[in-house]
Amino acid sequence: MTRFLIRRAAGFVLTLLAVSVVVFAVMSMLPGDPALSILGIEASPEALAAMRSQLGLDAPAPARYAAWALGALKGDFGTSYAFRVPVGGLIAERLPLTLSLALGAMAVTLVLAPGLGMAAAARHGGPGDWAVMVLSQIGIAVPAFWMSILLILLFAVRLGWLPSGGFPGWDQPLAALRALVLPVIALALVQSAVLARVTRSAALEVMRLDFVRTARATGLPRRRILWRHVLPNALIPIVTIIGMQFAAIVTGTVVIESVFSLPGLGRLLLQSIANRDLITVQALVLLFAAIVVTANFLVDLAYVAIDPRLTGRQS
Amino acid sequence: MIRVEGLSAALPQGQALRDVSLSVARGERLGLVGESGSGKSMLGLALMGMVPDAAQLSGRIALDGQDMTGATEAAWQPLRARKVAMIFQEPMTALDPLVRIGETVMEPLILHLKMRRRDARARALDLLAETGLTEPEAKMRQYPHQLSGGQRQRVLIALALACDPGVLIADEPTTALDAQIALRITDLLVRLSRDRGMALIFISHDLAAVARATERLAVMYGGDLVETGATAEVLANPRHPYTQGLIAARPRPDPAMIRKRLPVIPGTVPTLGDLPRGCRFAGRCAAELPRCAGTRPAPWPTASGQAACHLLEPAP
Ligand SMILES: Nc1ncnc2c1ncn2[C@@H]1O[C@H](COP(=O)(O)OP(=O)(O)O)[C@@H](O)[C@H]1O
Ligand SMILES: [Mg+2]
Repeated sequence: MTRFLIRRAAGFVLTLLAVSVVVFAVMSMLPGDPALSILGIEASPEALAAMRSQLGLDAPAPARYAAWALGALKGDFGTSYAFRVPVGGLIAERLPLTLSLALGAMAVTLVLAPGLGMAAAARHGGPGDWAVMVLSQIGIAVPAFWMSILLILLFAVRLGWLPSGGFPGWDQPLAALRALVLPVIALALVQSAVLARVTRSAALEVMRLDFVRTARATGLPRRRILWRHVLPNALIPIVTIIGMQFAAIVTGTVVIESVFSLPGLGRLLLQSIANRDLITVQALVLLFAAIVVTANFLVDLAYVAIDPRLTGRQS
Repeated sequence: MIRVEGLSAALPQGQALRDVSLSVARGERLGLVGESGSGKSMLGLALMGMVPDAAQLSGRIALDGQDMTGATEAAWQPLRARKVAMIFQEPMTALDPLVRIGETVMEPLILHLKMRRRDARARALDLLAETGLTEPEAKMRQYPHQLSGGQRQRVLIALALACDPGVLIADEPTTALDAQIALRITDLLVRLSRDRGMALIFISHDLAAVARATERLAVMYGGDLVETGATAEVLANPRHPYTQGLIAARPRPDPAMIRKRLPVIPGTVPTLGDLPRGCRFAGRCAAELPRCAGTRPAPWPTASGQAACHLLEPAP
């Protein structure tokens, strides 16, 4: 048990390390001279050289990587070429918004999908099952940005219940929450559709197994069999998909923040790419990757909590 | 305890049970034999109200005086485990892999008998000990994958006994186990049935096990009950050609016999759709008469029961 956890934790750290190397390498290989983009094309070669050494760009790649990675560990991602402020600060300002979007969408998905999927599986072949299948098929087929536009047209433009975009800032909590409702729903609907289907098929798979027949022969009520025996056994595929979905949601915020003009990390990423602000892009890509790797690590931990067979856990 | 009259189970492909009438008295041990596909499991499931959705039942089923003909799932559910319980062939997959053994056995005690957890735990321990599980206390905390097949079958028996049912249906409980464990499980079922005055329906295709475990025997073929009677009597003096074939085809421990070719019943069990309209055994029967394939034989009395065969018809 503890050995399994240590192995997984070591894997987690190594993956993060590998990700940081890859991100750094890819960013270093991109064409373009940061000094040039900061000083402009009229700058003299001497000024450019001075700027490069000021940015630490004249050091060999391994040394530059080490400096960057050590800084990142302390939350110091360098200074943005475009905004001339610390990248860490830029990220810290925007992280709460993006995290609220992602966690909110994940929470809505977790509230909606498993119940729908289990209800569909329990009514396999019946009208309830059909309804869930048709709705989820629609949810999967409609792209998130399109869903966003539909939501804006209906709830903002037509009904006027919620703002169509923009963010008032956290100092107005109610208005801030209202601004998040539509983007969270737009992100969550697609993922709920996917997860409801996965839950349904995983549950149907489990319902054919022998121990479900044993539970029935023991006179257990249907609902108890579903929630106490079928759902836990269906959790392994469900949790796997949830991990992948969290990654999809985090990357999905990039599009959603643009559609709803929300000042989050996704928007910062697009701006930095447009500005050729490589050092900020590099930090953001690392951060997104770290979030995804962390989600996968949590999924690994969840497996252990769910299934005693995985670790040979004794009593 | 159990009374079945004219029970049929129609599947889209054909009849899995045809006009089966059978009764099991309180505390009686009945063996149910027949080749694979004869409808033994279907009959067992019918007595639990658990036939597949595709099967249309007709005929009467009464359990402990209660008429269960056409009963709904909701009507069956309270009887399962409390009046009639069932264990199945494959113990390896019959337990929820995520639930500890103790919790599994405690579940019906808490749910059906409204026991408090502490009492349920003590009772579960007693039940596991009663089935001869070694170190039951430690096993309570273990998961199914930590137990062997024989141990799991004991756990499933304890689970089936939890609410003290009047009848236990054991559907080939030893087929998946090796010979020595199989023998012990068979003897365990007999002992439990005696100790508790519990009726036992022992489904098997192992005639030796049935001879050892049961008092009365019912032979099934193609969804028909072809012969019934006292176990010893039927095995010593089978009247139906199918029963005679089964007994002749049984594997013998005698090494001299193994080297010779074992006599087997010629042909294979037809699929449901291809069963003859009359006697189901027509087409494979060595003593077949012209009318056998078209006319269903009536059950005729034998020394200790009945056999449904045209050969037994009294001369006019
Ligand atoms: N769920 C099902 N769907 C279709 N046919 C079935 C089903 N269950 C059993 N049968 C058929 O019913 C017949 C009797 O099967 P069964 O009762 O399992 O036989 P036994 O237990 O004697 O081996 C077989 O022909 C089998 O193919
Ligand atoms: Mg069977």
